[in-house]
Amino acid sequence: MDFALTDEQREIRQAARDHLERHYPPLRVCALAEGPGGSEAGAWPELIRQGWLDDDLGMVELTLLAEESGRCLHPTPWWTTVALAAPYARAAGEQLTVPATFADGGGTVRPARSPQGWTLTGQVAAVPQAGAVRCLVVRADTDQGPAVFACDTGSAGLVVAELSTLDTLRRMARVRCDGTPARLLVGPDRAAEAARTARLRGGVLLAAEAVGVAAGALDMAVAHARQREQFGRPIGSFQAVAHQLTEAYVDTESARSLAYRAAWLVQHEPEAGAQAVDEAVLVARSAAVRTCETAIQITGGMGVTWEYPLHRWLRRALWLEAYPGFGDDPHDRVAERLLRRADPDEITPTAPDGR
Amino acid sequence: MNLHDDPAEAAFRAELRDWLRSRLPDDDPSRTWSTAELREWSRDLSAAGYAGITWPREYGGRGLSAAYQAIFVEETARAGAPDHINIIGMNMVGPTLIAHGTDEQKARYLPGILSGRTLFCQGFSEPEAGSDLAAVRTSARRAEPDGYLLDGEKVWSSYAHLADHCLLLARTGPAEPKHQGLTCFLLDMRAPGVKVSPLRQLNGDTDFNQIILTDARVDDADVVGEVGKGWSVALSTLAHERGTFGITLTARLVAQFDRLLRLVREVGAEDDPAVRRELAVLHARLQGLRYTGYRSLAALRRSGEPGAESSILKLEWSLLHQRVCALALRLQGPAALLDGGDAAWHGYWQRQRLRSRANTIEGGTSEILRGIVAERVLGLPRSRQ
Repeated sequence: MDFALTDEQREIRQAARDHLERHYPPLRVCALAEGPGGSEAGAWPELIRQGWLDDDLGMVELTLLAEESGRCLHPTPWWTTVALAAPYARAAGEQLTVPATFADGGGTVRPARSPQGWTLTGQVAAVPQAGAVRCLVVRADTDQGPAVFACDTGSAGLVVAELSTLDTLRRMARVRCDGTPARLLVGPDRAAEAARTARLRGGVLLAAEAVGVAAGALDMAVAHARQREQFGRPIGSFQAVAHQLTEAYVDTESARSLAYRAAWLVQHEPEAGAQAVDEAVLVARSAAVRTCETAIQITGGMGVTWEYPLHRWLRRALWLEAYPGFGDDPHDRVAERLLRRADPDEITPTAPDGR
Repeated sequence: MNLHDDPAEAAFRAELRDWLRSRLPDDDPSRTWSTAELREWSRDLSAAGYAGITWPREYGGRGLSAAYQAIFVEETARAGAPDHINIIGMNMVGPTLIAHGTDEQKARYLPGILSGRTLFCQGFSEPEAGSDLAAVRTSARRAEPDGYLLDGEKVWSSYAHLADHCLLLARTGPAEPKHQGLTCFLLDMRAPGVKVSPLRQLNGDTDFNQIILTDARVDDADVVGEVGKGWSVALSTLAHERGTFGITLTARLVAQFDRLLRLVREVGAEDDPAVRRELAVLHARLQGLRYTGYRSLAALRRSGEPGAESSILKLEWSLLHQRVCALALRLQGPAALLDGGDAAWHGYWQRQRLRSRANTIEGGTSEILRGIVAERVLGLPRSRQ
């Protein structure tokens, strides 16, 4: 067993951090959050140049990029592209290179087939980043069962209406389509398998982003606790302050271990990864929320102002906690596998102890 | 990154697992081991080559990496095996002597530690020196021409009632600054002036002892390291304790969690939503703890030092174990009122519930550990002057 990043993986992480820190200091992120799109459209070619959408990135590498993205709230549609849409393109043997997202139109969007090809009609109530992307990957029910389609956001009959959103850096939008031309990506015969894989990959990257959100908030709070003085001392020297930050560190490291483990398993043993992904999502989501809350507590009166950037991180943590895209509450699935052992192989990800 | 054993590790694990299965067919948590049984078990472990796994070959060890020690603790925990009776000698005193001992001390003690013939205990903590270990008061007065006389009281010493020798921290320089006047000694526990009595814990068990020293004699040849340098020797001993200790604790908690699942099924609580939610959280966090331990082990292999993340292991372990034991008692409902022979599993969970209360105190209190993380990992300013 060797549970460590390779040198190349460390380099990828460092390069990602350098790129993001250079382009997206907190003040810039806050400005974008209040701007029209909540995201930087012009950044895409640079991301492609830097290899963020390369086909050969493994799950661990993507996990590191998602973690770094979470750390600074990377304000582009990269996460929705790789975490939500790309797994379906991948299942179709395609590579996504334009900003994209996923819309679950199961039960609300109706595909129709004509001599010119497929069209979609219906609506999806809340789609993340739909206003900021160029490609929509849409799940819709055909007569043969669920299938997955792709359409251009500029297509005829497609209307995207942005909604007021808790996290303005990842805005939700209502998508309506009316006879919108679409391309079949994954047919009903393979849609269930594609959805399963997409849930695993998306779950890992959701956990990874949550780890980054927690780590970014913790960094800010620690920096504040080192320099902010009250009663003539830096407040980080008070145990009541220091110990809260320590608890946040414990949560974050534990979540990071689970996210890396889940990433490796989904890449190397996808059939064994479901339990590991659920565990990573469960721990990382709560680590992100708790750490952001702690960070705001430590930054005190400043932390609760609009101008101080931390509420953006808390909003992202709450977004990640509420996002329903990967199935029901993972708690119950984890407990079910533990108690029923319906599929014992699935919960034997590593040799050490048989679980 | 690879989450599987390499072929050599897998072979070591398989062989050990077979050996354990032949010796301990089933995990019976309520089994109690007599001292004679523990001695026999430990002799067999040593004879089978499972003592001193990470010790250098020149001192009779197997010279294997910490990854093998981790496999050993995982498999023994899984089998419900007890500790080697000389665990303190093997994991703390031996490595300390290898690092700081004289050739004579190594020749005299190391073979006996490995074989289990010479049992060790440790005498660091005192009534007035707990978290603040450098405050030890036990005095070592010069007894010319070639020794010292020890006076004082040591507490929380495991195995002291069985031990032949003790690695002990005492004050040789009462006038010197706190951390400088300390020296480490090897004390013969049968020497005149050494009195051992059991400390009874809140659950009624007696895992630890008090050692009263009254003019107990040690020779110059029994000094470990240099006179006045006892603090750095003690720190290295504690570092050895913390090396794969986190993995040991985690492995036992994994086995303990399996017992908890067994209990959930026994009491028919599989469908209780509150129980399910707590099980999911505990299991997920336990896996987080486990894989954080593996991360630390990989860092140890690369750099010789466990990574920063290793500082959280004991902290997180103690809280999770307390939650596991608390749930086990809640599951029993009113039957949790009983104990001993009238309770489920002969009162195993009652004893564990009470015993686990000490987990956040022993081996470094949670408060001290959080302080260490705050200062050394997060780089926050020191809280005490």
